[in-house]
Formats: sequence, C-alpha cells, structure tokens
Amino acid sequence: MMSTLLIKNLHVNVGEKEILKGINLEINTGEVHAIMGPNGNGKSTLLSAVMGHPKYQVTQGEILINEQDVLKMSVDERSRAGLFLGMQYPQEIPGVTNSDFLKAAMNARLEKPISLFKFIRTLDKNIEELHMNENLAHRYLNEGFSGGEKKRNEILQMKLLKPQFALLDEIDSGLDVDALRVVSEAINSMRGDDFSCVMVSHYERLFELVKPTHVHVLVNGQIVKSGGYELVEKIDKEGYEWIKQELGIEIQEEEEKQPIILESCGKKEQLTHG
Amino acid sequence: MDNFEFDSPYYICFKDQECLKSSLPTGVSYLNQQLIFENKEPIEIRIIYILQQDQQLTMTFQFEKNVQVDIIETKMLQKNASLKKIMNLKQNAIVHMFNENNSCHEGHISLKEEVYLQRDAVCHSGYAELSDGSVQGEYRYYLDGENADARVRMAILSKQQEKKNFEVLIQHNRPYTYGQMDNYGVVKDQGHLKIDGIGTITKGQRGSSSHQTNKIMVFDPSCVASANPYLYIDEYDVKASHAAAVGKMDEEHLYYLQSRGLTKKQAMQLITYGYLKPVIEVVDNDMLKAYFEKVLSKVGA
Repeated sequence: MMSTLLIKNLHVNVGEKEILKGINLEINTGEVHAIMGPNGNGKSTLLSAVMGHPKYQVTQGEILINEQDVLKMSVDERSRAGLFLGMQYPQEIPGVTNSDFLKAAMNARLEKPISLFKFIRTLDKNIEELHMNENLAHRYLNEGFSGGEKKRNEILQMKLLKPQFALLDEIDSGLDVDALRVVSEAINSMRGDDFSCVMVSHYERLFELVKPTHVHVLVNGQIVKSGGYELVEKIDKEGYEWIKQELGIEIQEEEEKQPIILESCGKKEQLTHG
Repeated sequence: MDNFEFDSPYYICFKDQECLKSSLPTGVSYLNQQLIFENKEPIEIRIIYILQQDQQLTMTFQFEKNVQVDIIETKMLQKNASLKKIMNLKQNAIVHMFNENNSCHEGHISLKEEVYLQRDAVCHSGYAELSDGSVQGEYRYYLDGENADARVRMAILSKQQEKKNFEVLIQHNRPYTYGQMDNYGVVKDQGHLKIDGIGTITKGQRGSSSHQTNKIMVFDPSCVASANPYLYIDEYDVKASHAAAVGKMDEEHLYYLQSRGLTKKQAMQLITYGYLKPVIEVVDNDMLKAYFEKVLSKVGA
C-alpha cells in the first residue's frame, strides 16, 4: 500500500529566527525527491524538523504520515512510524557498541526481539555489501570513524531499519568516488513501492547515481521551483542565478556553520572557518 | 549463596567474620583472616563477604612471587558494617580483581582497601558500586617497587537519598611506576556522590606516570556531585594527567539514538551502560558481562 508523507505550510524557527517560511511537499512511497538550494536556505532544517530535533520549533503548519499527525509524536515515535534521518554529522557515542545499538534499534520496531543468529547474519551481510570494516560491530558508535565511515554507517542503519521515508542529509559529503558508488547502490537497492527518499545534496553526481523522480529548489525557506531531473542538470551547469532572475528574488546565502569537534583545537577550527 | 550465578569452581565465602565455606585450589590457603596465594598456574576465584549490622572484618591477602590471580568479589554488608582489605603483591604477582558491592542497607557502610605492590607487580581493579545505601570508600594503592603497575576503574551509581563518597589514591614510592584511575559515576534523584582521585609521586620517583579521569553524569536537578582530581608531584621527570567533569547526558546523543526508534528510557540506559561498562573489562569473564548487564538495569532512567 502506498504511504504518503505530507508537509503542509511548514514554518520553523531556530530561536527567534524563522528559517522555513511555508514549505509544502508531498512524498509518496516509490518516489525519490531531491532538494537543492544554496547554503543556509533551510534544507537541513527541513529534514531535522521533520525528524523532530528539539532545536527546531515548528510555529505553523502540519506534517502527516498517512494522515497521522507527526508533530504530536516524539522523535522515537517518528522513527517507528517510518521516518529515518541520515544525518550530516552523525554523533559519536563512546561506550555504546555498534552492535548493541543496532540490535536495540531493530528491536524497537519488532514485536519479538530478533534472534542473535539472525541479527549477526543480517548485520554481516550488510557490512559486506557496504564494504565496511568487519570490526565495525564491536567498535563504539561512530567513535574514531572517518567521515566516509560515518556516512556508510548511516546507510547501514537505513538498510537494517527499512524506513518508508528516508531523509538523507548530504549523505555524499566525505565520500570518495568508490564509497559514493557503494552508497548509491545501497540506496537504489532499497527503491521500491515501500520506500521513498528525500535527498539533500550540493552535487549532481549523487543524483546521477540515484536518479530522483522529483526535484525541488529551496530558497529563503520556501520551495520556489519543482520539476524533474532536468532541474538538476540546469543547476549543475548554471548555478542558482537564473532562478533569482526568473522569479525576481534575492537569495540570502549564509555560510553554514561548521561544528567544532571537541578533540580538535577549537581556536584553529575558528581560524579556518572564520 | 543463592545470589551467585558465577560458575567458578573455586570460591571462599565469609559470613559473620568467619569463613562459611570454601573450595580453594592447590596453592591457595586460608587461615585466621589471611588468604595466601602461592599457586603455580593462573587461577580464578570468587570471594563473597556477608557482614551483619555493625560487624567489622579485616582480611589480608598475600600474593607470592609470580602468581597470577583473577578475583571476582561480591560484598553484601548491612548497616554500619565495615570491611577492610589489605593486599600485598610480591614481585611480579599479577592480580586482576572485579569487585561488586551488592549491599542493601539503610545507614552507611565503610569499605577500605590498601594494596601494596612490589617490583613488577600488577594490580588491575574494577569496582562496581551500584549498591543500595550510603557508602564511604577508601581505596589506596602504594607502588613500592620499580615497574609496579596499578589501574583502577570505578563505576558508581548514587540514587534516591544515598550518599556515596570515594577516595582513590595511587601513591608512587619507587621510580618507573605506573598508576591510572578512571572513576565514572551516575547520580539520580537526590543522590550525592563525591569522588576524590589522588595521584602522588614522591621525590626521586623519576620515570613514573600518574593518570586519572573522574567523570560524573547527573540525571536530576536535585543531585549533588563533585569530582575532584588531586595530583601531588615532587619530581620533575614524570608523566601526569588528570581530567574531571560533572554534567548532564548529552542531548545530541539522546536525539541520535531516539531518531533510530529507541525510547528516551532505552537510549539513556544504553548510554549509561556504555558509560559504566568498562569496569568489567578488568576480568575476562563472559558470565560477568551478562550478569552486569542485568544489574545495570537498575540504573534505568
């Protein structure tokens, strides 16, 4: 049966500042949506707000999955309702092993806990398909992982949890060419009547490998243009200037803040990122 | 003995200040509150202490040269009871000790340990302090021979109205000695927890290393927690480090786990388990891991 994620007139604030100013989107299982747009215009905010990150306050609008009110759900209820967010900066959690975490996450949506044998078999198969380090299960969650390993670990979770709506936030950043191919194959392998995906990326390459059925351009907290794959090609060639002219809008481009990683020297990071 | 799910063939159980029953391997003997280890082969032994209200027990352990011993201990003390252990490790004795305080009492209990290490002796200890009731604990390690190596890990839970105070000392009395402590605590409800970590390197003990980490995670606004590292160093040519932190569970960690479908309670449990779990790594025992997982469920959220 087809499922629908419906976003209606969504307004979202971070602190006092309004970031999303009335987003409308309909995503049906079987579809793949790409969201493009300049930095700092609200793409990541949209995905995080749908998942329910406490930093993002919804001030107006609705999010529905098959007419169920997502905004009334806690973050974990949203996950169990079929949402998944592949994060741009996945958290490192010391002491929690990947395998304990993955097992707990899989069991969270099962009536009867998965048998250890089946869990290990499923995990090993997916680790192999994603060309990941076989020690992964025993390592602490994302701790000491390279950027690419973290992204692959997000995809591994997506494959194990089988969401209906996967939101992938710059899943291609930090991946080399080979890893990008592996990750794209993994996403493509999930495509079907029971799966849909919303991808945010700056690069055409990801969309070449995982062809979207719908493409949207998000500018100043609103979706200003929607279309098919031709939009990706046009933006890749011409940037966003033409949209500005065509629609007569000013694009506010903001530098996205880089998180400062605690292990690294804060001062140096500040200097690098201004 | 019903509480014990470990299947070590060797054990000794003390009740009411006397040895209640025991099964000791060759090379291990017990007399007048003194256990002597002269075993040729490495052994694992379970030790259980049961003390009634107001009782006191002092135990001495002698580890002879070159012995290798794994100890898994359980302490069950009643109100106002106190247990003191004195451990002497001779040259090259290697002792790994997991220590569980499984007491359940009103009032408070006192736990003291003094560990003396001679040349090349190694003592790695893990203290799981998840008992119900207030505790005053003092664990003191003295590195009295070159290359002696002491490592202490603690996992402490203080909840409800419990008051738990711990002092861990590692004192370097000889050159080229190594001391490390990692003390982790969780405080809930109106619980109190104070951890004092003390690293002392006396004059002339060149080439020694003293490291410590003290961390406390606080769950509720009415918790009282302090983590205090002290380094007393009277020698230049040494390595030393310390870290101390008291704070709440990281909200971003919780969000990440919840976004995968774990309830807040499950997420907190998983994070807490990961935080306290390293304490069992001092002894290589699968049963212990499974048992500890069950015990930790009382940390809950």
